[in-house]
Amino acid sequence: MVDVLSPLKPVWKPGTHGNTANGIGVVLTETQPGSIVQLAAWQGQEKKLLAAIKAVSALALPDGAGGGKSGDSKAAFGIAPGKFLIVDQNEGLAAIFSGAVTSEVGTVTDLSHGRTALRISGPKAEWVLAKFFAVDFALPAFPVGSGIATLHHDIFAHIQRTGAEQFDLYVFRSFARSFWTMLCHASEEVGYEVS
Amino acid sequence: MSPRRTDSGGRIDRQRSIRFTFDGKPFTGYPGDTLASALLASGVSLFGRSFKYHRPRGVMTAGVDEPNALVTVLKGGVREPNIPATLLEIYDGLTVVSQNHFPSLGFDIGATNQLGGKLLGAGFYYKTFIGPVIGPLKGTRFWMFCEYFIRRAAGLGRAGNEKDTARYERINAFCDVLVVGSGPAGLMAAKTAAESGKRVVFADLEPRLGGSANWSGETIDGMPAADWAEAAVTELRQNANVRLLPRTTVWGYYDGNTLAALERVADHKPNPGKGEPRHRYWTIRAEAVVLATGAFERPLVFPGNDRPGVMLASAAERYAAEFGVLPGRKVVVFTNNDSAYATAAALKKAGAGIAAIVDVRREVSEAAHAAALSVGGEFLAGHAVVATEGGAKLSGIKVQIFDAATGALSGEPRSIEADCLIVSGGWSPVIHLASQAGINPQWDDARQAFLPPQPTQNWVGAGAFNGSFSTEEALAEGHAAACQAAGTVDGLIEALPEVETPALRSHPAPVFEIKAKGKAFVDFQHDVTADDVRLAYREGFVSVEHLKRYTTLGMATDQGKTSNVPGLAIMAEALGKPIPDVGTTRFRPPFSAVSLGSLAAERYGDLKPERLTPMHDWHIEHNATMYPVGLWFRPMIYGDPGETVEQAYVREAKATRETAGIVDVSTLGKIAVQGPDAAEFLDRVYTNVFSTLAIGKARYGLMLREDGLAMDDGTTWRLGQNDFLMTTTTANAGKVMQHLEYLLDVIWPDLKVQLTSVTDQWAGAAIGGPKAREILASCVTGTAVDNEALQFMGIVHGEIAGAPVMICRLSFSGEMAFEVYSGACHGCHVWKALMQAGKPFGLVPYGLEALGTLRIEKGHVTGAEIDGRTTGRDLHLDWMLSKKKPFIGSAMMDREGLMAEDRIKLVGVISLDNRPLNGGAHIVEENNPDEPRNSIGHITAVCYSPALGKYIGLALVKGGKSRHGSRAFVADPLRKRFGPVEIVSHHFFDPEGKRMHG
Amino acid sequence: MLISCPYCGPRDLSEFTYQGDGNRTRPDPASTDQQAWNAYVYDRVNTAGDHHEIWQHSGGCRAHLMVTRNTLTHKVSAVAFARDAGHRKSDRHRMSGGAA
Repeated sequence: MVDVLSPLKPVWKPGTHGNTANGIGVVLTETQPGSIVQLAAWQGQEKKLLAAIKAVSALALPDGAGGGKSGDSKAAFGIAPGKFLIVDQNEGLAAIFSGAVTSEVGTVTDLSHGRTALRISGPKAEWVLAKFFAVDFALPAFPVGSGIATLHHDIFAHIQRTGAEQFDLYVFRSFARSFWTMLCHASEEVGYEVS
Repeated sequence: MSPRRTDSGGRIDRQRSIRFTFDGKPFTGYPGDTLASALLASGVSLFGRSFKYHRPRGVMTAGVDEPNALVTVLKGGVREPNIPATLLEIYDGLTVVSQNHFPSLGFDIGATNQLGGKLLGAGFYYKTFIGPVIGPLKGTRFWMFCEYFIRRAAGLGRAGNEKDTARYERINAFCDVLVVGSGPAGLMAAKTAAESGKRVVFADLEPRLGGSANWSGETIDGMPAADWAEAAVTELRQNANVRLLPRTTVWGYYDGNTLAALERVADHKPNPGKGEPRHRYWTIRAEAVVLATGAFERPLVFPGNDRPGVMLASAAERYAAEFGVLPGRKVVVFTNNDSAYATAAALKKAGAGIAAIVDVRREVSEAAHAAALSVGGEFLAGHAVVATEGGAKLSGIKVQIFDAATGALSGEPRSIEADCLIVSGGWSPVIHLASQAGINPQWDDARQAFLPPQPTQNWVGAGAFNGSFSTEEALAEGHAAACQAAGTVDGLIEALPEVETPALRSHPAPVFEIKAKGKAFVDFQHDVTADDVRLAYREGFVSVEHLKRYTTLGMATDQGKTSNVPGLAIMAEALGKPIPDVGTTRFRPPFSAVSLGSLAAERYGDLKPERLTPMHDWHIEHNATMYPVGLWFRPMIYGDPGETVEQAYVREAKATRETAGIVDVSTLGKIAVQGPDAAEFLDRVYTNVFSTLAIGKARYGLMLREDGLAMDDGTTWRLGQNDFLMTTTTANAGKVMQHLEYLLDVIWPDLKVQLTSVTDQWAGAAIGGPKAREILASCVTGTAVDNEALQFMGIVHGEIAGAPVMICRLSFSGEMAFEVYSGACHGCHVWKALMQAGKPFGLVPYGLEALGTLRIEKGHVTGAEIDGRTTGRDLHLDWMLSKKKPFIGSAMMDREGLMAEDRIKLVGVISLDNRPLNGGAHIVEENNPDEPRNSIGHITAVCYSPALGKYIGLALVKGGKSRHGSRAFVADPLRKRFGPVEIVSHHFFDPEGKRMHG
Repeated sequence: MLISCPYCGPRDLSEFTYQGDGNRTRPDPASTDQQAWNAYVYDRVNTAGDHHEIWQHSGGCRAHLMVTRNTLTHKVSAVAFARDAGHRKSDRHRMSGGAA
């Protein structure tokens, strides 16, 4: 198996940084899932696609825009009407879904190499993310499990809340290094740890 | 103890001293001081020189409305001019200099300008610096000549040249209720909204929340107002649903109840904390807004009203009560309303002597009368101040009997000794934000002020903002506004706090100006006098908008906070119209000055969104000079030491033609086109047919816009029955994606097609040259790459060094070439393996310059030729325009103008003088460097061609092919490049394509 | 300006891309009626009041939206997926003089 190369390599600096006088505000990490797959259902086929997601990943996604779930090694959430992002720590998820989702139901697109998965967690996670995205990150507005698609200038991001103080971000791989640098920069005032 | 500091009182900390310098001299102050209060406490009265006349100026206000006391702050080599001393919190090491004087603040040569006061009236510059009708300085050239000197003489602070190294940030906030202003009204509103469980953002531009409660001396709920405010703020601070934003100016009110605010996070600190921004730009989206922005006190307009020592009454009270600073020992009060009587009492209490109270009204209320008697000093009702005395410091005033109804003065002027004159001309509600989110403000006769307009967005006003100037009303309205904003009909609080306050009303007599001899200032910062306003009227300016522009009234950095209403009143009088008929100007954002750094914020400094390919680090390690292409960075050349750019790309291109070259093509746009209707969709968007493409094959495609002009080109690969991979040019990737998404969503929603950007999923390496196939054969496993297994435009799947790859045999360079795609995270691994495999064959990496050279030699088009003005036919791509099916652009591409004979068409050009050509140079028929004319086209791309041994280029030229073999000239006057070229076919090299077909 | 995306909820203008006048109907692809094509490609109504516009939520779900916006007040009164509003009949694309 060939090692996957993180786009963050030269800027990846493990340890604590910034103003840690009041503790660590956020922990930043790259989760490096083995699979990131986009599933899309044709209009009217959404239920069948949700069933396929449940069958393959055991994640029963709630109805509604952005609805999602996250488990130990898998996570899924809505990103657009009839469209979902499914993430697995294991490789090969796209191939499995290709068997489970027929062309009558929708499409399967492998984005495992094309998106970089970053995690931000900690008491200041909402504060740091608010510096980038014009989206309300408060828990009532953005419940655990749910996801959104949004933008920081040119940098497009899918974001899933995977904990009360934890968010997983999926950004285009080519932008990942820039975005990571900005994320670290924005986290400096609250103190951050890279691990 | 400093001369003006009181022994006790105020909200400053006398236990600790802060040291700072002003114009190089050391001063001390206390925590809680502003620069203004600290300097006043030290006996400084002269803060700066005025804009036009260089008159000495002191402090007039205690807040954001300050027109006079503007200073320049020096911090870390950076100078920031025009900061109101009234907003500047002092800290240890603060370095401040005064502005607009030469050679020094005390002695200023420019002050002689006031001797020529008549000359320098409104419109002086416009009238005086009109140049002669003829000659070198004719018309506006004369103005431009003079402007340099004028700008030096007139003006505010000087900006620095040093790069601002401070950090700025942006942040977004969402809330149920935003409360702007933290006086009693705002505080009550925030309390109420917080108690109802709402998410509240509570902002005030001052460092200390509480507004007038900090200095009013009133009693709220049985305790001093300041204590009540502090208790309320403490309670709010502990509420997790409330965000307190002190030092935060809400400066803009935009659509969708979105407000912009500037938080001065670290301006008051010697050094910001690690990672802490200096300013934070808040974008606040609020369900509802409570505007409790208070009111500005207005000055009165009378001769000498700008002398240092003349101050707004409320400011004087604030300095005494909040900062423990006496603005004077011998104070005269000049007013047209009752509120200044409370000020007189407060100053007296703080230790000042009240020399006189001068009131323009003959009759005053009982409460006012009682207050006047209790503070002592002369009580001159029905009088007015007609002059001030002293140099750069007030020493006395002159009063005369005044008739408020007619404005007439009578009797002899009489002098009264004073070191401070406090003035109150009534109050103007701060309706700026409301004006941005409402219709026109309403004039109110009783208050002689504009009241807030009807809202066009979801806001509710409270307190002095509404013209309700008493604290009792403020608390009641703050509560009611919060209930309304929070959507609760019933009051949430059982009983409002009780207020003890003297029964003084701030409704003024309608007196704005005392007409006596001498300069009476309306706009202090721009040095606009009452006579200037009348002069403008006499010269025919009747609209308030024209008046503003002609006199520059209200157009300084304070945006007329103290001058708008008096200016309007004087204009109205000149016009003989009531004030509401003259109108007022609508306020625009920002409410007060906003740092440009905060607007640039996250895009400031090194924070740029850069797109990097998976092989980026390898390129850097191998001496690549990177070149920005949109947001992408691509190698331009891989220069050897000592090589010029031309030498490097010529070497790279030559090696590619002779052995093999490899180029990173990961930046090409890649779109997954999937679904049962994908082939049909491609037939509709490309000019040529894709439904006939076999699985495992690629085809070159051309896309037009609806108007028939060329849009983009690229190859599309059929990976499965319902699965295509489309490539676009790097520059057009986003545009093409949106174009296709639009068509699917808006025009053909019935097509079952899914589009996904997979640009970042794939790393791409194009390897080409006579040795390319051998190199591939030596490192690819799992598939053959010979002519049989991999025909031209065929696709195979295999592995390189263990990584899965997809290889398509297609050529941009004109050589036998292959594009090797791998998962992006394997991209660098595969690239290195290819380099390793190519080593024995002499494989070289090449950059954009060589890529350009190879394609120019082949006559392939890119964005330089597909420039939004050319058609497929202009580029000799007629063969790609299918006649069998309609496609996007097919209906419009045959229009007469797009078929015309004289259109510019693609040709090649060869430099005949062996000198380089320039992109963008015109092609002309006659060589006439002195007056080049009759362009027949232009050059789009140039290079030195190692294959031809000549400087060549592609060009778009009228007549196209018919000019092949003819001579023309380049004309490039900007770069002074003229000379002969030969027009040839754009297929310079291997026109039959023998090399790529092998 | 905020646009309420039917999928993503109210979002900032910066997430959207204007994708043109929503009052146009594309002629039949095989049509050679140059006037109809000309009207489709070039003619735009210049409404003072409620106006149909196509906006793409390019920084979100990427759906194209049919937005009804008042050009005088910026007030957005309706937002729907363009896909669902598709093929809406409208004769307003012809600028044949007078009020639209």
